[in-house]
Amino acid sequence: MDAGVLQLPLAIKLDLWLTDQVILVGLFALLALSLNLINGWGRMFSLGHHGFYFLGAYGAAWLTAALPTGLPGALVFVTTCLFGMLVATAGGLLIGVPCLRLRGDYLAIATLGFGEGVRLVISNADVRVPPGFTVPRVLFEVNSSNLLMYRLLFLGIVILLVVGVVLLIRNYVRSSAGRAMLAVAQDERAAGLLGINPTGSKVLVFLMGSAIAGLAGAVYAHYSGSVAPKDFEFVLMVTIFLIVVLGGLGSISGCILAAFLLRATERGLGMVGGVVSEWWQVEFALILILLMIFRPNGIFGPRELTDVIRDWRQRRRAGSKA
Amino acid sequence: MLADVLLDGLGLGAIYAFIALGYTMVYGIIKLINFAHGEFFMVGAFVGYFALRDLGVDEVDLPQPLPILLAFLVAITLAATAAALLAVLTERLAYRPVRRAGRIAALLTAVGVSFFLQNLAVQVWGAGARAYPEPGIWLYVDDLPAKADADYKIRERVEAVVLKGDAIDTARKAALRAEGIERVYRTPDLTKEGKQGFVLLALLLWTPVLWWLVKRTRMGRAMRAVSEDADAARLMGININLIVAATFFLGAFVAGVGGVAYCATYGSVKPLTGWIPGLKAFIAAVIGGIGSIPGAIVGGLLLGVAEFAIPALLEQLGWADAKAFQDALAYVFLIIVLLVKPTGLLGKPQREKV
Repeated sequence: MDAGVLQLPLAIKLDLWLTDQVILVGLFALLALSLNLINGWGRMFSLGHHGFYFLGAYGAAWLTAALPTGLPGALVFVTTCLFGMLVATAGGLLIGVPCLRLRGDYLAIATLGFGEGVRLVISNADVRVPPGFTVPRVLFEVNSSNLLMYRLLFLGIVILLVVGVVLLIRNYVRSSAGRAMLAVAQDERAAGLLGINPTGSKVLVFLMGSAIAGLAGAVYAHYSGSVAPKDFEFVLMVTIFLIVVLGGLGSISGCILAAFLLRATERGLGMVGGVVSEWWQVEFALILILLMIFRPNGIFGPRELTDVIRDWRQRRRAGSKA
Repeated sequence: MLADVLLDGLGLGAIYAFIALGYTMVYGIIKLINFAHGEFFMVGAFVGYFALRDLGVDEVDLPQPLPILLAFLVAITLAATAAALLAVLTERLAYRPVRRAGRIAALLTAVGVSFFLQNLAVQVWGAGARAYPEPGIWLYVDDLPAKADADYKIRERVEAVVLKGDAIDTARKAALRAEGIERVYRTPDLTKEGKQGFVLLALLLWTPVLWWLVKRTRMGRAMRAVSEDADAARLMGININLIVAATFFLGAFVAGVGGVAYCATYGSVKPLTGWIPGLKAFIAAVIGGIGSIPGAIVGGLLLGVAEFAIPALLEQLGWADAKAFQDALAYVFLIIVLLVKPTGLLGKPQREKV
C-alpha cells in the first residue's frame, strides 16, 4: 500500500478496509465450500487444502510473471487463473489417485503431508530473496486514486465465484453423480455393490474441491499482488477447517456464514486489543476443541440456514398455540 | 562419507523412534492420530531447557562428568514427567469427551489441541528459538594442559581467556593467577556425532523397558487387551479410562526424553520444535506398522537414514538440488508404504469387517 492511501478521506479508507475484509471472507468461503465438498459431503478426511490453495496461487503467479508483457490484461487474468486451477487439479490428481483408497485417518496424514510437503519443497528450492513472487497487476495499474475501484472489481469477481460455486455444489449434490458420491460417502462397499465406482466418484469430488481451492488461490495471488510460502502455512488449513466445522459439514449457507463470523470475530477481538487479540490463535484453537466436544457436527450440522429458520418458526408457532 | 550419512540418519531416526513410540501406542489403543504428541515432545524439551539452565549445567564445579550426567538425568526426568502429565491432562479434558463422537471429530480435536499448545507456547515462551544449555566443565588453572585443547572461559566474560591452541607454561599460569583467575571452564568437546551416539544409546536402553512394560506386566496385558477389543476388555473388568490414561502417560514420557535429546543434539528449542518431527514420527510409526513397538523403532531408524541417504545419493548422481526434497521424502515414503503394504513392515494384517 503506498503513502497516498494515508491521505485519503476517512470514508474512502473505511470503504477500502471493508472491501478488503469482504474479499477475504469471500476467498475463505470459497476455500471452506471446496473443503466441505471433500470433507462434508464426501466424508473424506483431507488436511491438505492449503496445498491446493498454494499451488493455485503459485501457478497463477508464475505464469503471470512468465507471460510476455503487453497482452490484454483480462486475457492474462483469465488464463492465469485457469492455469492456477489446472496446477491445483493436477496436484489433486497426484495425491488423490494413490491416496483415496486409504482409510480415513491415513488419508488425513497423506494429504497433510502433501500440503506441507509441497510448500516445503517449493520454498526450499526457491532461490529468490525474499522467497515468493511479485505478481504484476494485469487488470489495471493500481494507485491511491483507483485502489477502491480495483478492490470493488475484485469484490465483484469473488462474489461471482462464490455464487458460481454455490450453484455448482447445489446442482452437483442433486445430480446422479452427486447422489452416487453421497452413497459412497455413506457406505463405500454397499455403493460399490449397487454398481457405483467408489474410487472414480471419490476422485471426482476430490478434484472438484482442489480445483476450486486452486482458483481461489489464483484470485488471491492477483488480488494481493505477491505470494510467499509463509502465507500458506498450516494455520490456514486449521482456519478453513474451523469454518467448515463451525458452519456444519455439508451445509452451504453455514460455510459462508461461518467464514463471515470468524473474520468478524477476529477483527472484533483485534479491536479490543491487548491480551485478547494477542492470544487470538490460542482462543481460536480453543474454539475448535470446544466445538468438537460439544457440537461435533457443527453448529447447524448438515442443515442449511433456511432449514434452521423454518424449524425455528414452526417451533415458535407450535409454542404459541400451546 | 557413508559413515557420516549413516550416523546422521541413525541419530535423527532415533529421535523419530522416540516420538513414534508414543504415537504407535496411542493409536494402537484408541485408533487416534494424536497430533498433539509432537507438542508433548516440545513441552518436554522446554521443561528440560529450564531444568538444565536452572541446575547450572553450564557451570559445573568439578572437572568430572558425573554432575553433568546427573543434571541431565534430573532434567530428562522432569521433562518426561511434565510431558506425561500434560498428556494425561489433555486426554482427560479434550480426548475423552470426543472418544465416542467418531473418528473425524477425535482427529480434529487432536489438530486443535496441537495448534492450541503450539500457540500457547508461543505466547508463554516467545516464538523465537532459544539456545539449549551446553554443559561446561571447570578446571583449576594449575590443571590446564601445556597446550590448550579448547577455549577456556571465566564466568565474568563471554570471550575466552585462553584460546584453543595457546601454549600454557608456568609464566602464563602465573599471569592468569595474577589477574585473579583461579579456575577456568570449557564446554566439553562433544561433537554432534557424540551426541547422536548418546541418543542412540538412550533408545537402546529404553526399548527393553517399554517392551517389558507392555509384554510382561499386568498393565501391559490390559493395554493389549483394550487395543484388541475395548468392549470385551471392559467386560473382563479392565478400567478402560485408566488404561488409556496410562498409555498416554507412557507415550508422552518417552517423547519427553526424546525432546531433551533432540534439542540437546541440535542445539535449540522453539514452540514449533515438535511439529515437523511429530508428523514425520507418525509416518515412521506407519512405516513400521502402527500399533507395533518394534515397528516404531525400525520405522524411525529407517526413515532417519533414508532422509539423509537418499538426498546424498541423488547428489552423487548429479542432482544438485536434491536437499530441497529432504523434507518431502517422508511423505513420499508414507504413500508408497501405504499403497504397497498398508499394515507397515511389522504390522499385523487386518481384515476389514463388513
